[in-house]
Amino acid sequence: MNCQLYDDLLDDYVDGVRAADYGNDARMAAFERHLAQCAQCQAVVADLTSIRIVASTLDRQIPPPRLWAKIASSLDERQRQPWWQRQLGGALSPWVAGAVAASIALLLVAGLWQQWKQPAPEPQQDISALSSEPAAVPAEQHYEQAIAGLQQLADAHNAALDPATRAVLTQNLAVIDRAINESREALVQEPASTLAQESLLDALETKVALLQDTVALASDTGAVADEPADAARELNQ
Amino acid sequence: MFRFVTSPPFDGQRGQRSASSKQPGDVRTADLELAARCRAGDAGAFEELYRQHARRLFSLVVRMIGSVDDAEDLLQEVFLQAHRKLSGFRGDSALGTWLYRLTMNHCLDHLRGRQARMNRATESLDEEGADEPIAPAAAVPAQVSRLDLERAIKMLPDGARAAFLLHDVEGFEHREIAQILGISEGTSKSQVHKARMKLRAILSR
Repeated sequence: MNCQLYDDLLDDYVDGVRAADYGNDARMAAFERHLAQCAQCQAVVADLTSIRIVASTLDRQIPPPRLWAKIASSLDERQRQPWWQRQLGGALSPWVAGAVAASIALLLVAGLWQQWKQPAPEPQQDISALSSEPAAVPAEQHYEQAIAGLQQLADAHNAALDPATRAVLTQNLAVIDRAINESREALVQEPASTLAQESLLDALETKVALLQDTVALASDTGAVADEPADAARELNQ
Repeated sequence: MFRFVTSPPFDGQRGQRSASSKQPGDVRTADLELAARCRAGDAGAFEELYRQHARRLFSLVVRMIGSVDDAEDLLQEVFLQAHRKLSGFRGDSALGTWLYRLTMNHCLDHLRGRQARMNRATESLDEEGADEPIAPAAAVPAQVSRLDLERAIKMLPDGARAAFLLHDVEGFEHREIAQILGISEGTSKSQVHKARMKLRAILSR
């Protein structure tokens, strides 16, 4: 008997695949004829079918109720961390994490600068490149509105933050503002540049996130009611 | 912002996927809505996600790593990572499949670490590899007990155990297992075959 010829079909057969269901698939039909005459393959199919049936009835284990409590507690703790610690997984001290966040922002600006310094790319057969109209950035207005509202809240409650945190936040905001301005300048020169559009939106999104965290931080100090954080969430929706 | 895709969904109950009253689009839309609520900071949304999936995932983790205590710690890490990574969920797969992928990655990392510590040879999931010769077995007892099967599953190699649990216990198709484990469909099939034949050999001793 050439049982090995059909090794790859054994499991399909155990899983319920039949030649008749697949337009009388020739190999499966041959296996079914072989199976009808081969006691060894019949035994294997019977055993594997038995294993499959019992496997599908194995009990489910219930996670202990304390598991959700532990997860919820970890999430609460994370929400109380400054944004850069959350982004970095809480693995670094606030000072180091702040320095890293500022460095990332500087690298972002340096990267943008390098890209703008590169020669213009070859013209592409792209409809946006052929258009004489400046490319629209529809999300920009949404970000601007969110930033205006958040900036107002952040300015009103900035005093609740300790001076060191305030200094890092101010420094980061300045870096992001520079990135926004430079993206806008690049867009003026190359209105159809997807890279410049994406850079602008990324920078605006980063500013929204930073302002949200500024407001949340001020709220966490206890000097401010929950209202600013709620307002910040609403602005982001 | 979200991409809606139309591949078949995972609705959470083994053997009942085709019997679900929910349509694929409904499930995927519900997944995206739940993920969006989690991202927006809705306190109840993440708990809803946990309640929907924790039980199935916990059973899988216990069977994968063989310890209830370790499974509890590992699943906690999985959900905390899921919370961090939800911003990257775009609905390319069902939320359940996405969570299974995170969970299996954690399980396999855990097992690889444990194996390394024990200085045992590791097994690559995507390595077809030559199967160990399986001795011709006597027939498996007509009534396989669930307890015997649970014990036998613990003796499987990690890759074969992962594929077997997902296919025969959780009811995933090979296409879905390929997504979850990051392997090809062919590898998934061969791992399930390898697992079943090894289980047959163990149970017939």
